[in-house]
Amino acid sequence: MSRSFSWKTGILLVAVAIFLILYPKLVDSYFLHLTVATFLAMIMASSWDILARTGQVSVGQAGLFGIGAYTAALLYQRLHLPPVLGMLAGATLAMIVAIFLGYLTLRLRGIYFAITTIAFAEALSVIWLMTPGVTGGAMGVSTPPLFNGNREHAYYLILIVLALVIFVVWLIESSRLNFAFTAIRENEEVANVMGINPTRYKVLAFMISAFFTGFAGGFYSHYNTYIIPYEVFGLGISIACLVMPIFGGLYTIAGPIIGTILIKAIEEYLRVTFSYGHQIAYGLILVVVVLFMPEGLLGLWKRRILPFFSGFRQ
Amino acid sequence: MDWPSFFQSLANGILIAGLYAAVTLGLTLVLGVMGIVNFAHGELVMLGAYSTFWLFSLLGIDPMLSIAMSGLILFLIGLPIYRFTIRPILKDPPLNQLLLTLGISIFLQNLAMILWKTDSRSVITSYSGMSLHLGVVHIGLTRLITFLIALILTASLVSFLYKARPGKAMRAVSENNTASWLIGINVQKTYLLAFGVASGLAGAAGALVSMIMYTFPMVGFKLSLKAFCILILGGLGNIPGALFGSLILGLTESFVGTYVPEGSGWAEGISFILIMIVLIIKPTGLAGTRRE
Repeated sequence: MSRSFSWKTGILLVAVAIFLILYPKLVDSYFLHLTVATFLAMIMASSWDILARTGQVSVGQAGLFGIGAYTAALLYQRLHLPPVLGMLAGATLAMIVAIFLGYLTLRLRGIYFAITTIAFAEALSVIWLMTPGVTGGAMGVSTPPLFNGNREHAYYLILIVLALVIFVVWLIESSRLNFAFTAIRENEEVANVMGINPTRYKVLAFMISAFFTGFAGGFYSHYNTYIIPYEVFGLGISIACLVMPIFGGLYTIAGPIIGTILIKAIEEYLRVTFSYGHQIAYGLILVVVVLFMPEGLLGLWKRRILPFFSGFRQ
Repeated sequence: MDWPSFFQSLANGILIAGLYAAVTLGLTLVLGVMGIVNFAHGELVMLGAYSTFWLFSLLGIDPMLSIAMSGLILFLIGLPIYRFTIRPILKDPPLNQLLLTLGISIFLQNLAMILWKTDSRSVITSYSGMSLHLGVVHIGLTRLITFLIALILTASLVSFLYKARPGKAMRAVSENNTASWLIGINVQKTYLLAFGVASGLAGAAGALVSMIMYTFPMVGFKLSLKAFCILILGGLGNIPGALFGSLILGLTESFVGTYVPEGSGWAEGISFILIMIVLIIKPTGLAGTRRE
């Protein structure tokens, strides 16, 4: 799939880039904060989607997120490591854990893999609660505000990482990896016979996914200044990681991005309305997507809305 | 060896295993009959626990009596859940079924948080504090009663499946649904009834949960994970396996709680560790029944 840039795409990309660079000057501090939270979620959504491309549905991304979050926070607390290095360390550790977990869970398909990933995240939560001497336990760990509370700097950092994630997804889509991932997802036995080594590609996808999810965790801990095991290893984070790409449209660049923007908007509205339970939208969206729009919003757009308009024009 | 604490842990483990078995029954039924792992089963148990709590605190109904009422309420909740969400995806790939039931589970958890906040609630009756002394072992009366009721629920389900006509139909459909259809069994009706009965069992199990644990919105999710662990230990979709798995989990948790320092905290993680160990060693579960 060799997709060369047309000059139109080039101009569009440059325009988007300029807009995103100037963005902090255009909006107020609260909106900038929402944007940072949305970009962070996009990183998690796209990372989940990378893993899902090999047919592995993880319901335990919070495990990797929490490892990243705690590595960054504890390295700062104990060694005063600069936050960005701590985030990279957290991302790397999450990736190393994913290599082990990836090899151990290789033979697990479908639901068994999903249940194992939930158990992984929940087990980490128990371990964290029970070893307060090392991890801070239920009281959590706090760090000073990232970049002394400068939101613009935080925005640029998360923008760079998001751009990197999207670039990696684009690389996957436009390289032979795309065929390998799709073949493994569609039928692992057949892929194996065709000479694709499922082990290698599944672990590779897990590593990439874990690296960015771990980085997101590290960023979250410093940006949020405070983490507790219940939250960073919690089901809420794992669910957010999977609902956003499923809502937007799986195995695409735009799907996780669009899904994240819409879900974050809904969530922010509900957060203002209810003090608890604003993830109710996540549950509802999962049910509606599985029942009525199997390819998410992008699929709905391509199948229903686009034909409607093109029919209208003729 | 300290025999009194050994026997005490043994007794506690067996008693809690009864509750786990009650929670797992409905999950096993749905899995056995229609081949779906219902991630929302724990949330149905949670709703059963809440309905028992509210019947007790608003109307003063004894939790023993509301076991049947919670069962009936959840039976009635289960029917539309099956009709409008499960039935359309019966033939879908397992991952779609996973995502759908996970969605229902997340929805119900958050609904409970919105309606009843995240407070932990408990049902305290006049007999809550009573206990029996069998030699060196103390057995809480409520725990003993929940254990006995769990046994009765299991026995009723088994006799329903082997003696009653609709129960026999469920077993036939689980063996081969096309053949069942050919001999005149209404497969759709059987599925509907099986899901309703499973939800009712969840409601009854929820009543038991409210008597010996705290009731809070995430209690169902915690119990779901324990039930998955039990299924993986005992083999998917069969009742003897579920009882065996419950006993293993209950005893392991109880002994870890007694013999490991700070064990009651670590015991909460046992089910996750067991899930990971068993699946990594044997990817289809200990008993090795595979359902695709």
